[in-house]
Amino acid sequence: MKIPKRSFEASVPSMAMGDIAFLLLIFFVILAKAQDDSHLRWEPAADEELEQASNYKASVVIDVKNKTYLNGRPIAQAQLEGALSDLLGDAEPTKRTVLLKVHKDATVLQFEPVIEAVSKSGGEIHHVLEQERK
Amino acid sequence: MKLPRNKLLAEPPAGASSDIAFILIVFFLVCASVQPEQGRPQEIPKTEEEPDKQEKNKNPEVELTRTVVILNGDPLTDKSFASRLNGLLAGKRNTEDKVVMLKSRKDVSYERWIEFTGLIEKAGGIVTLQLEEEQVQVVN
Repeated sequence: MKIPKRSFEASVPSMAMGDIAFLLLIFFVILAKAQDDSHLRWEPAADEELEQASNYKASVVIDVKNKTYLNGRPIAQAQLEGALSDLLGDAEPTKRTVLLKVHKDATVLQFEPVIEAVSKSGGEIHHVLEQERK
Repeated sequence: MKLPRNKLLAEPPAGASSDIAFILIVFFLVCASVQPEQGRPQEIPKTEEEPDKQEKNKNPEVELTRTVVILNGDPLTDKSFASRLNGLLAGKRNTEDKVVMLKSRKDVSYERWIEFTGLIEKAGGIVTLQLEEEQVQVVN
C-alpha cells in the first residue's frame, strides 16, 4: 500500500511584505544620506534674480564653522581641485555644474580658494542663494 | 418602545496599515528631499599666471573692501558704484572689453561679494578674480 506524501505549503506571508519594503526603504535612505549635505548648517546670501540649477555633478559647502565639504563629506581645500576633477571627469560642458553653498558670513579667505578650485577643475559655478526680501 | 440600533463595526483592515505607513514614508521623503537649489550661475574665466599688460590698462579694476568699493582707484559708495560701472561698460561690445578685474580684501564677506559681483554682471561685465599670490619668505 502506498502512503501518500503530505505536501507542505511554503509561501511567504503577505503580511511581511510591508515590513520588507519598509526595511528596504530605510536601507536606500541611509545610502542616499551618505552623499547628501542637508545635515550641514549654512545660511545662504540673498540675491534678486535667481535661476534653478540643473544637471549638477557636485556640491561644495562652506558651513557656519568655515569648514569645506564636497558632497557632504569634509575635505581640505588643497584637495578640492583634484577631487572635483575626478568627479567631473569628461562630462559635457553643460553637465559640469558645481553647486556652491557658502555661508553668508564666510570671508574671501575661505571661499575664494574654493571658487579657484572649481574654476581650475573646469566646473561651472552655480551659487546657491535665497530670494532677496524687499 | 425604543428599538436598539445595530452597531456596525467600521474598522480599517489591519492588513492595509503597512501599505498606509509605506505611502506616508514615501510622501515625507519626497517632501524632505526637495531642497531649493536656486541661485546664480557664474562664469569665471580661467586663471592666468600673468595678465596681459594691455588688458590690465583698459579693463575696469574693482577693489572690494568691507566698507567701500574702489573703482579704478576711486573710492565709491555702494549706490554710486553701479551707475559708474554702467557708464564705463556702456558701448563695449567685445567680450574682452567687458572683463572686470575684481580684487577682494580677505575680510570681505560672501554676502557682500555676491552683491557686488551681481552688480558687475548686471552692468554687462564679466568678473575675473584677481588673486593674491602666496609669497613664501624664508627667514634665516
